[in-house]
Amino acid sequence: MTIETVFLMVFALGALTGAVAMFFLRHPMRVALALIGTMVSLAAIYAQLGMHVIAVFQVLVYVGAVMVFMIYAIMLLDVRDRSFTERFSPLLVAGLAGLLLLLGVLVDGLLRGQPFPAVDVPPDAFSVGTFAIVFMEQFWVYFALTAVLLLVAEIAASAVIDIRRRGQDVAAAQAERGNERG
Amino acid sequence: MFEWLMESFYSLPVVMQILFKITLIVLPLMLAVAYTTYAERKVIGYIQVRIGPNRVGPRGWLQPIADAVKLLTKEVIVPTNANRFLFLSAPVLAIAPALAAWAVIPFDDGMVLADINAGLLYLLALTSLGVYGIIIAGWASNSKYALLGAMRSAAQIVSYEIAMGFALVGVIMAAGSLNVGQIVMAQEGSIYHWFLLPLFPLFLVYFISGVAETNRAPFDVAEGESEIVAGFHVEYSGMAFAVFFLAEYANMILISALAALLFFGGWLSPFQGIVPESVFAWPLIGWFLDSGIHWFLLKTAFFLFLFLWFRATFPRYRYDQIMRLGWKVLIPVTIVWLFVLGVLIFLKVGPWFA
Repeated sequence: MTIETVFLMVFALGALTGAVAMFFLRHPMRVALALIGTMVSLAAIYAQLGMHVIAVFQVLVYVGAVMVFMIYAIMLLDVRDRSFTERFSPLLVAGLAGLLLLLGVLVDGLLRGQPFPAVDVPPDAFSVGTFAIVFMEQFWVYFALTAVLLLVAEIAASAVIDIRRRGQDVAAAQAERGNERG
Repeated sequence: MFEWLMESFYSLPVVMQILFKITLIVLPLMLAVAYTTYAERKVIGYIQVRIGPNRVGPRGWLQPIADAVKLLTKEVIVPTNANRFLFLSAPVLAIAPALAAWAVIPFDDGMVLADINAGLLYLLALTSLGVYGIIIAGWASNSKYALLGAMRSAAQIVSYEIAMGFALVGVIMAAGSLNVGQIVMAQEGSIYHWFLLPLFPLFLVYFISGVAETNRAPFDVAEGESEIVAGFHVEYSGMAFAVFFLAEYANMILISALAALLFFGGWLSPFQGIVPESVFAWPLIGWFLDSGIHWFLLKTAFFLFLFLWFRATFPRYRYDQIMRLGWKVLIPVTIVWLFVLGVLIFLKVGPWFA
């Protein structure tokens, strides 16, 4: 067994453990950190397989940007919420079962001796140049459309929050007026 | 003797070779970090017409050692109701990316731990991870000051990362490569070939963003002592605090090294292409004037000095001023200059893009 295979197995185990931990951990911060662990492990696996660009983008986009905003939002949650004080969610048993199942599949694959099927990939298939050309020729429209959709969703979410907040303010003002009359 | 040493080295297992190379980078880096703290106190002392540390050892040279011993022997206090695991993990999360980023930094031609093609992207990815240490430290401390500091820091780092990323896109466009070594070699020729000239606005944006990303003065609102005591690391003491300190200074050295590599020709000599080639054959003087690791270290030291100079010179920015500078000044400047750069490359303006 080469050292590359050992690293691959370690990171695969890390990715699986993080993924399963997301099922049964209760506190949002712990869940987010488990997700980050999974993403970093996946990036390490991509790097091990020679796909450096994909690995770097995995970290740069998901871990370095998306998850930072999620953690930022979690920081502002009320940590005294009673639901956070219980360490595990009711899905603990299901999560552990999932972990055992995934580990079983992994061990089974390893025992069979051919865990990673050989794929005929050209050597420069995941180089920056190839990646950029394919992206700009085939996927930029979808990418731009997704960005617009996300922007629309963000504006809609902000609008909904604003309307709800105004509604709460109006209700509070009416209640106050009612109290004054009473 | 040298050949015997090299043969012995290459006869070691690969893992041992890699560990040895990592030690060769990390040990001098830690020493540099320790003595940057000394340099900071001395430089700021002289700027403020004081002497600075001068009690421990000759001229105060052993001051960093005394500081290290003090911090190592102090108790690490975990605040009440703090999340112990995350509280103790945060300093590690801060320093790990700061050290791992050095894997792709070339010190001389071919003198690099990992010569990967997407080196610059790797650096961007790792610098974006440094924010986790700060966020988690602020959150896990169970302190309002720490939380406020972490929130400020996270918003600042994320904002300035965009400007820095755009500035680095300019470097990638100019060099046509993501490999840091190849970016340096694209500046070969003479001092006029360095990317400083065609990318001057991007260099300014990069360095200002670098100062902001490292939370250094005048962008140190994340630990503004007059407002939030010490910000995200207010609850830290002893070695846990020292690790944050190490990460901050390691990041400062990294930003300085990158400025030297990406805009100032890295290890290339400023005399290259200016003095006759025969001068480089002179003993000692020729070695000094020729390209080599000493030029890289000198350039890095110069940018480190700028960090210290800024701290002694500028008053702290207000938080809204920092945000305005990042989003409304630096990002538009980089976008405009990327268009200008595209035109320069299209027109093959020399000597950089000929």
